[in-house]
Amino acid sequence: MKFFQKTKKEVNKHQKALSELIRVVGEERILSAIEDRICYSYDATRQKVLPDIVVRPADTNDVSNTLKIASKYKVPIYARGAGSGLTGGAVPLMGGIVFDLKNMNRIIEISPDDFTATVEPGVVTKELQDEVAKFDLFYPPDPSSAAFSTIGGNVAECAGGITGLKYGVTRDYILSLEIVLPDGSVINTGGKALRSTTGYDLTRLFTGSEGTLGVFTKITVKLIPKPEKILTVAAYFSERDDAVDAADLIIDNNILPRTLEFLDQMTINAVRGYTGADIGEDVKALLLIDIDGTEGSISHEVPIIENACRESNAFRTKVAETAEERDAIWATRRSISPALYNIAPHKINEDICVPRSKIKEMLQRVDRIKTDQPIYIANFGHIGDGNIHVNTMYSDDPGQEELAESIVNKVMKEVVKLGGSISGEHGIGNKKSQFMELEIPSHEYEIMKKFKSYFDPKGIMNPGKMFIR
Amino acid sequence: MELRAGKNKIDKDVFEELCSAIGRECIFDSIEERERYSFDAANLKSMPDLVIMPRSTEQVSGILSIANKHNIPNCTRGVVLPGGAVPIRGGIVLDLKNMNRIEELNARDLTITVEPGVVMKDLQDEVVRSRLFYPPESGSEILSTIGERVAECTGGMTGMKYGVTRDYVLALEIVLPDGSVINAGRKTLKSVAGYDLTRFFVGSEGTLGVFTKITLKLLPMPEKTGTVMSCFKDIEGALDATDTILSKNHLNPRALEFADKTCIDAVREADNGKIPEEAEALLLIDVDGNEKNVTNDISRIDAICRENSALNILITHADEERNRLWDIRNSIFPSPSKIASVKYDEDVTVQRSKVRDVLKRIYELSNTYSLEMSVSGKIGEGHIHLNVTGNSADADDVSVHSLVSQILNSVESNGGTNISGLAPHESEIMKDLKRMFDPKGIMNPGKIII
Amino acid sequence: MTTDWKEEVSKCSKCGKCQTVCPVFLETGDESSVSRGKISLAEALRDKQIVYTERLREHVYSCKKCMRCRKVCPSDVDYEVIISALLRGVADEMGIPLMPKIIFRYMLPRRILFDLMLKVGSKIQRFIPGKRRGQMRHLPLLFMGKRWIPTLAKKTALKKFSTTRKLKNPKMRVGLFTGCLINYIYVDIAEAVVDVLNRMNIEVVIPQGQLCCGTPSSTMGDHKSSKKLAEVNREVFESHNLDAIVSACATCTKSIKMDYLRTLGPSWQQMSDKIYDISEFIEKYCGNDYKAKPIDEKVTYHDPCHLMWVRGITEEPRDVLKKSSDFVDMDMAGSCCGGGGIFTIIHYDLTLKMLERKVNSIERSGADTVATNCPGCIMQIADGFAGKDSKVKTTHSIQILQKAMVNGGVDNSDTS
Repeated sequence: MKFFQKTKKEVNKHQKALSELIRVVGEERILSAIEDRICYSYDATRQKVLPDIVVRPADTNDVSNTLKIASKYKVPIYARGAGSGLTGGAVPLMGGIVFDLKNMNRIIEISPDDFTATVEPGVVTKELQDEVAKFDLFYPPDPSSAAFSTIGGNVAECAGGITGLKYGVTRDYILSLEIVLPDGSVINTGGKALRSTTGYDLTRLFTGSEGTLGVFTKITVKLIPKPEKILTVAAYFSERDDAVDAADLIIDNNILPRTLEFLDQMTINAVRGYTGADIGEDVKALLLIDIDGTEGSISHEVPIIENACRESNAFRTKVAETAEERDAIWATRRSISPALYNIAPHKINEDICVPRSKIKEMLQRVDRIKTDQPIYIANFGHIGDGNIHVNTMYSDDPGQEELAESIVNKVMKEVVKLGGSISGEHGIGNKKSQFMELEIPSHEYEIMKKFKSYFDPKGIMNPGKMFIR
Repeated sequence: MELRAGKNKIDKDVFEELCSAIGRECIFDSIEERERYSFDAANLKSMPDLVIMPRSTEQVSGILSIANKHNIPNCTRGVVLPGGAVPIRGGIVLDLKNMNRIEELNARDLTITVEPGVVMKDLQDEVVRSRLFYPPESGSEILSTIGERVAECTGGMTGMKYGVTRDYVLALEIVLPDGSVINAGRKTLKSVAGYDLTRFFVGSEGTLGVFTKITLKLLPMPEKTGTVMSCFKDIEGALDATDTILSKNHLNPRALEFADKTCIDAVREADNGKIPEEAEALLLIDVDGNEKNVTNDISRIDAICRENSALNILITHADEERNRLWDIRNSIFPSPSKIASVKYDEDVTVQRSKVRDVLKRIYELSNTYSLEMSVSGKIGEGHIHLNVTGNSADADDVSVHSLVSQILNSVESNGGTNISGLAPHESEIMKDLKRMFDPKGIMNPGKIII
Repeated sequence: MTTDWKEEVSKCSKCGKCQTVCPVFLETGDESSVSRGKISLAEALRDKQIVYTERLREHVYSCKKCMRCRKVCPSDVDYEVIISALLRGVADEMGIPLMPKIIFRYMLPRRILFDLMLKVGSKIQRFIPGKRRGQMRHLPLLFMGKRWIPTLAKKTALKKFSTTRKLKNPKMRVGLFTGCLINYIYVDIAEAVVDVLNRMNIEVVIPQGQLCCGTPSSTMGDHKSSKKLAEVNREVFESHNLDAIVSACATCTKSIKMDYLRTLGPSWQQMSDKIYDISEFIEKYCGNDYKAKPIDEKVTYHDPCHLMWVRGITEEPRDVLKKSSDFVDMDMAGSCCGGGGIFTIIHYDLTLKMLERKVNSIERSGADTVATNCPGCIMQIADGFAGKDSKVKTTHSIQILQKAMVNGGVDNSDTS
């Protein structure tokens, strides 16, 4: 755990801010004991920096009051959902206040007639999905952390997930936001009507802004009808490129699968070693395909998908219809994360995104970078939208971490050369801010910084993230 | 009537500068050319000082930097601008119709990169040739350009199922008012590096910069599309059927269009007797997907319409027949103007669940003011298109105004389009952002989007 | 201890997945409630960035030790090692509160003293007013709090079954580990176990001299007491030549089957392999050859944490209930009822919230009776219904089976 070194003046200001917070927001919403602050010092990047104060607001008013005080004393403020981010978005790099929004977790309204739901930011994404499913509705963005990450965090990072190819990402489903700006003022963007367009699209400007511009206090999302049925096809390949070809061929056949997941050989080996899953040694690549729709539509698409896979040299396909069968297939995907930790204790998980036509090339370049290096790289991910998770696994041995970092560095450069993006869905945070300028030209970078300084002139919102200079 | 047309207010020096920067052949300054780009607005005829038709990003950049330097107001346009940029203060009209190259259609990546002047019909033809699909089409406005569509973030007929333009814009090349060129977004389906400049510019109506290249996301073409046209003897029947189709059965049609009796009567001549005399309302519904999907959805929609006492139902899978049915719909828009002088024409959106209430209020008000109105729209998305037609003798401007403002109040109180504009704080923010990009206010100055 | 907690904490990747299952976090939303938070605290302790304080103790005690998190952890962190170390640290550095200490150190290991204390309690409780449906306010003697708990039995299970009912030609001979709650309060459950197994021609020995399993003391970090108890229990059970050991208490089963492997070492493995939850035992050894006439009652089942999440046993109790009643599943059957030792006393308000969730699930299922395999859960859930004046009964699944067997007149026992 790190402690951000503060000047005497800063310590003094923090003290004043704390006593004012206790007075205005209330002692019961503030944690200041070190035993509590430690629990808000990290996120899923394992970085740990101790915050000075934790505020747990109950409503928009608390959020506004806290921001006013933070602004007055120029105390950094770090909004936090579930702390499950992969780029350091919630880590209080410069100490200050951590804003724990988990207690603002009411589902305010589900309107089945309007196909909308309005929620507070602390609602867990899966809970929203489950609640709307009761009305036969569907909130598609489905990051693999959906069972614990919050909708506020998802909007802040513009989370994607396995349904991106067919259904898009978080920003495609946000209709309106209530946002508290750093000065404590509250604005409303967008509208609950499906087509409201008034003025500039602030909703999307704030979606994916990673807590650097303001804090969301209310989020209205668009819902769509829940597909009647989901079916899973698994296809096994002896060549990696064949799996990529199969994915292409499926889409060429006018089918947009709900999910199209790809696992490379390293990933498969890890899973086999970990779960003893029944995947033969000859399997070098695996596609897990979910299709959804009506019964009739699915039965129409299954043979097309199976053919496409076979045409691309899949030596086996497996169709799973029941929930149990599907679950058995997806267990492989779910076990990737623990399986990888079995190979090495640490990983850098990059979520690069390239145009689909560049996937083969990208994977080859990763191979070339890895050549002969004593490190493991496992590639898997959402192949349909070109979003590949490149996981560099390293051990505690000396030099390993540096090696992993240099590999990631090289991978990022190749991604940008191929017209890709350094982050498809995880965000930038502080973990990737060094790569921002690889992808974003300097003028665009400056424009983004102008937005930042316009909304947050004092620089108190999530300082240390997204931009490095 | 004030006529500001005659004199060209652009200094000779500036004109020369423009000519040397981009070439004389792109610049038009004859009265005839300029007149073609002038508009009538509130009895004030205004005309641009110059019309420029650039062919490249560099030229657009050159024009804007000169205009910026000399504070010349500026507006971009394609072919048709529905109520769009009116060069009230004169200045330069940038007509991008010559920037109409389709640069790349990549079927593998499901993307297409085009210049802004590409006409929607050409774009659609190109996309269809590759058996792909660009959903935000817009029935009759097939002549507008993609640049305008992105600038306006239009929805089109298929919005309910497929969303609006911004959901399909992946990347933009933008010339900012100072002439600098930026690239926003990435040609990948996902990208979250930095703030979302792309979507911020989509829908900015030409007030922040000029798009010179647009990359759009495409979808595989749905295998089939089927159409149902159903007539009802009362409006309630049509609304009930809509609710059942959408809320209870979740059929997610590709398009769903409602028209009331006034609209129907206006297109009687076009319908070839397909619409019964006693029809008070009409639903035109498209579904798409694979063959089985379409057949299944259509039979369910058919059953639902029957349950809601539809008068007659026409079903077709054939493209030609489908087009004929949609022609009826498309003729609805120009038609009211055929039967009467349209006093007021407005598109509003409300929360979908509030459509019924708002329609009720509209007809109540129509009775109170004895003003004839026609209502249509994509009610599945809460979209209502209304015309006040001035058939009755006492349709003076005052009563029309009063009627409309009462309707809009009702719309606003039903979660709809914010007619009275943004709340003061939000409005300030947008003005600030406008200033941030366009400090001299040269971009589309006639356009008030805030 | 085989695994070092100081290394174990480094395995946590801080992904946050434990939030999905932690019953305490579900209520508080506070990171200090969930394993990831406690692991961070352990890390800070290891790195000497904090010391044991009152606040830390509160956080450490806010764990229910249900071990759900262990089940879902993608990095396979052995959280039990970490929380045990924290509890022991709290005990070592800050001491154990006096009252529990006296009980753990002096009374639990001495059956006579503990019996005597509870006997006095059972006499006194007769004069306590305001009992509801056999429940009364929490014993002021043992704990503090405002809970409804059942009255103490007049005769403990150990006394009641001090002599074994001999069978002539038994299929097997098993020992019953009663556990404190069954011994002192739910003697009916012990009776049902003996009756049901006898009817299946299985002889049941209740070894005298067995003591508390040690969970309460280890929960308070008093591993010294736990070890002492484990050693006595080992001696007692090893002295009988038993084919198997069963328990009707999920927590006791977990403790003697799994925790003892740690306290007593690998030499316990052989005994550990023979220890079963009662339903698990019945389904394994008598699953196909017992008959019962299902009772005319709608019965639902609550999964005790220590059975479902620690041992993965969910089907066997349901199979038993399906054969003996009109079984109906409830939603969220695996959510924690909130019961369990020190947690219920220190975090009573949280306990109530969890209980309310559970009671609502049970009511939604439309069952007349909720059965479970843990007397701790029974006590907790009955507490919930007593407060509500509801008609739903709370019982052990073995008692339902007993009724069904009596109902069907099934008796395969061969008494000498």
